[in-house]
Amino acid sequence: MDDLLADFVAETREMLEASGGEIVAWEADPSDKARLDTIFRFVHTVKGNCGFFDFPRLERLSHAAEDALAECRGGRREPDPVLVSAVLAIIDRISAMTDAIEAEEEFPEGGDDELIAALQPGDTPGAAIASKPAAKQVEAPAADNDDAAPKAARSNGVQRSIRLPTELLDEVMKGVSDMVLARNDLARRLREAGEQPTIDGPFDRLSTILADVRNAITRMRMQRLEHLFGSLPRLVRDLSTELGKQVMVDFEGGEVELDREMVEMVRDPLTHIIRNAIDHGLEGPGERIKGNKREIGLLKFAARQSGNQITLTITDDGRGINTERLAAKAVAAGIYSQAEIDSMSERRKHYLIFEPGLSTADEVSAVSGRGVGMDVVRANIERVGGSIDVASKPGEGTSFYLKLPLTLSIIAALTVGSGGQHYAIPRSYVEEIVFGSSDHVEFAQAGARRLVTFRGKRVPCLSLGEILGTEEPEGTAWESKTLVLVRLASDDIFALAVDRVYDHEDVVVKPIAPAIMETGLYAGTTLLDDGRPMMLLDLPSIAQKQQLVNEMRSATRVVEEEAVESRKTHSIMLFTGLDGRRRAVRLELVRRIDTIAREAIDIDGARVQAVIDGTIFPLVGHEHGELPEERCRLLRLSDGDSELVYVVREVLDAADMDGDIIPSATDPLVEGVTLIGERPVPVIDGHALFAAHSAPKREVQPMTCRLPAGSDWAHTILEPLIEAAGYRVAGDHEEQADVAIELAEQEESTPASAHHVIRLRHEPEAVTGTADSIYRYDRDALLAALKQARMGKTA
Amino acid sequence: MNELLLMCMIAGRRAAIPAIRVQSVIEIDEITPIPGAPSFIRGLTALRSQALTVIDCTVALGLEPGETPTQQRAAVVDIEGHLYALLVDAAYDVGEARSEPIEVPGGFGPGWQAAARGMVETDGGPTLLIEVEKLVTAPVAQVAA
Repeated sequence: MDDLLADFVAETREMLEASGGEIVAWEADPSDKARLDTIFRFVHTVKGNCGFFDFPRLERLSHAAEDALAECRGGRREPDPVLVSAVLAIIDRISAMTDAIEAEEEFPEGGDDELIAALQPGDTPGAAIASKPAAKQVEAPAADNDDAAPKAARSNGVQRSIRLPTELLDEVMKGVSDMVLARNDLARRLREAGEQPTIDGPFDRLSTILADVRNAITRMRMQRLEHLFGSLPRLVRDLSTELGKQVMVDFEGGEVELDREMVEMVRDPLTHIIRNAIDHGLEGPGERIKGNKREIGLLKFAARQSGNQITLTITDDGRGINTERLAAKAVAAGIYSQAEIDSMSERRKHYLIFEPGLSTADEVSAVSGRGVGMDVVRANIERVGGSIDVASKPGEGTSFYLKLPLTLSIIAALTVGSGGQHYAIPRSYVEEIVFGSSDHVEFAQAGARRLVTFRGKRVPCLSLGEILGTEEPEGTAWESKTLVLVRLASDDIFALAVDRVYDHEDVVVKPIAPAIMETGLYAGTTLLDDGRPMMLLDLPSIAQKQQLVNEMRSATRVVEEEAVESRKTHSIMLFTGLDGRRRAVRLELVRRIDTIAREAIDIDGARVQAVIDGTIFPLVGHEHGELPEERCRLLRLSDGDSELVYVVREVLDAADMDGDIIPSATDPLVEGVTLIGERPVPVIDGHALFAAHSAPKREVQPMTCRLPAGSDWAHTILEPLIEAAGYRVAGDHEEQADVAIELAEQEESTPASAHHVIRLRHEPEAVTGTADSIYRYDRDALLAALKQARMGKTA
Repeated sequence: MNELLLMCMIAGRRAAIPAIRVQSVIEIDEITPIPGAPSFIRGLTALRSQALTVIDCTVALGLEPGETPTQQRAAVVDIEGHLYALLVDAAYDVGEARSEPIEVPGGFGPGWQAAARGMVETDGGPTLLIEVEKLVTAPVAQVAA
């Protein structure tokens, strides 16, 4: 429903509720002037509001009541019970109509004239005297019988909304956060006290409820991106008129929700990107036609939510970033030397757009080109914990990708330890985690700068303890550290050495005092589960302080050169199985290492599965021994399409496989045995493993299949089969489906287009006219047809 | 007049903080240090779900930190939306000011002079009235350094 209309309904209802008491009092004493005034004001306001909307019936009713009441107020008419009833009948009708408007239904025709006639003084005395019941009667059939019941049902179904100050929401949010901390504290104490069934049950319930409440509160703070998008067409229109360009805007994903404050924070950067796109990106109509493009430029906004992040893409179909001009400017401005520019990849050159003091506009226009620009945009986006990326093709256009955390205050973080303390790092920066002791890692010293080489990349290495001043630079035992490879939004990489890496968690970030902010080391603070504070590191600022953002340039070049030489040796990951024996698996197969609770593993005969983050994976490795009681370490293996998890006792290390693998024929699940540090280690056969256990990963965009409409059989019997075959059942509103299934008996063919049509018939034997169809219980033939359709698409 | 004051002891001297600014007086048991932060910031401590910045008043005044008292009392104040715990030697009662804050010829000494609004008479004798804003910004400490 339109917002204005919703406001109208809300206001009318509010007044109805407020004047309810007045109406009753007026009925008791019709001569009461104060009451009369209140009711007069009500009908008057309704009449006035109706003028904005097209509600002739409401207007007529309220107008008539207003007239009659004005007569009374002017002293030209004495209010009597007859008039009171007539006015009340009209107010009731207004109320009923308002309900109908809200529910977006048609109010039944008729009945209005009688109600208005009942207002007339004296000319039908008989009717007037009897009008109290009469008025009720008039209303009764029209409103009561037809409407009363649906109305009651409706008011339950209609979403009510109220306005609340954000401070109140914050207050509630804070309260809930406190509760979560109290719960965590209690949980710890309960764990220490051992199992207590009488307490654990209710405590679990409390935890669930609390999680729900927290979720709901978070949702309260959310706002749809539509609100932001709503203001953009006007902005685009004004800018394009000013610059003599024609621009069309397209929005996608307006239903994505974002924290209210975050919406406000991205408004300015977004405006800036739009200005740039219209000013520099999109060509004038003449140039566009020459370039074989549509005269009207297109500016497209698309929002997607993925996990705790929103990706906002702004795409124009303009001329793209002119890297040559950008590079020339950068050289002219003395930011880079020509040699540095020459060694940059095209993609790296695009990033020049984020350098301070660069602008590709030759002339400074009123709109953009003053050199304050994308660097500020990037800084603003990064400040709220987001990142920005750009991609551009000459002549085809430019896309900006804004990645934003869902809320300002909650970010996904990696917790690390240094000097006995916990610190949080925004996960979006973390590229990879490696052990300093690993064979792949080589440390080197160049002047005062420590470098680390990992997988052919040589990057600067910082010790967190050293940065924070808790550790002597000389005393750093690099080999015992864990290295977190950090990639900043500017694509600058460095390694941060920490004592250990603890966990991934979502943390609620709170601002810190200005005096701490000044250190340039921290971006905020957050509380650990046990209520202790933990600092959130400000990595871009740290990198800046260490002058890494400058040094990066040479480092980037090193990366590009060194990446060319590829290693021939195979890397493997060593682990001990549940039986305590050492095994190895090819490193390429390992996607990540997970730790899950024992309960998340379900063993039922031959079917063994583990649940990680709501996804079910086949589990192997359990046959080697007993599962640990509490937590299980898992290797998540992937062959590119499907995934499975391998339960292990302990993950040891990654290593290079020096020698060959000596094939072993005895164990089908072992590829062979190789020597690691003089000891034989069996290497898991990835091929056999996935051949035995692979469950096809659900495709991100499965093929769609349309089912015959209105058929219960299709819905209950066919649908599960289709879905199991990897298809997604197309909704009614989707026009295009990859495959359509029709019933041969149904004559009318589905109008919606589909690439493939499979026809099903009722009878096992084909009869005339249904020769190309499949018997509907011939499972094999149906699956074969579906498979064929799939092959047809991929071919 | 008759401003309510929280009486406390800072660096062995009687001091007072306007009571209206004080949200509560807490006992700090655990402080998470913040490496790299100025020395007058002792670290963070948690009060319910809030993280408080713990200010060592003695250091903030530019004085040599004395022995850490066993009872770590702190006054919680809100300055520009940030919560601070002002660590004092001891916190007593809330009392009334018996006079307007006045200057003393020759001042109160460098650190004190910067942070005090003046001296007030109280039932417990002359007391320095501290301006809390001055304690949480760097300048006072820099004066000392």
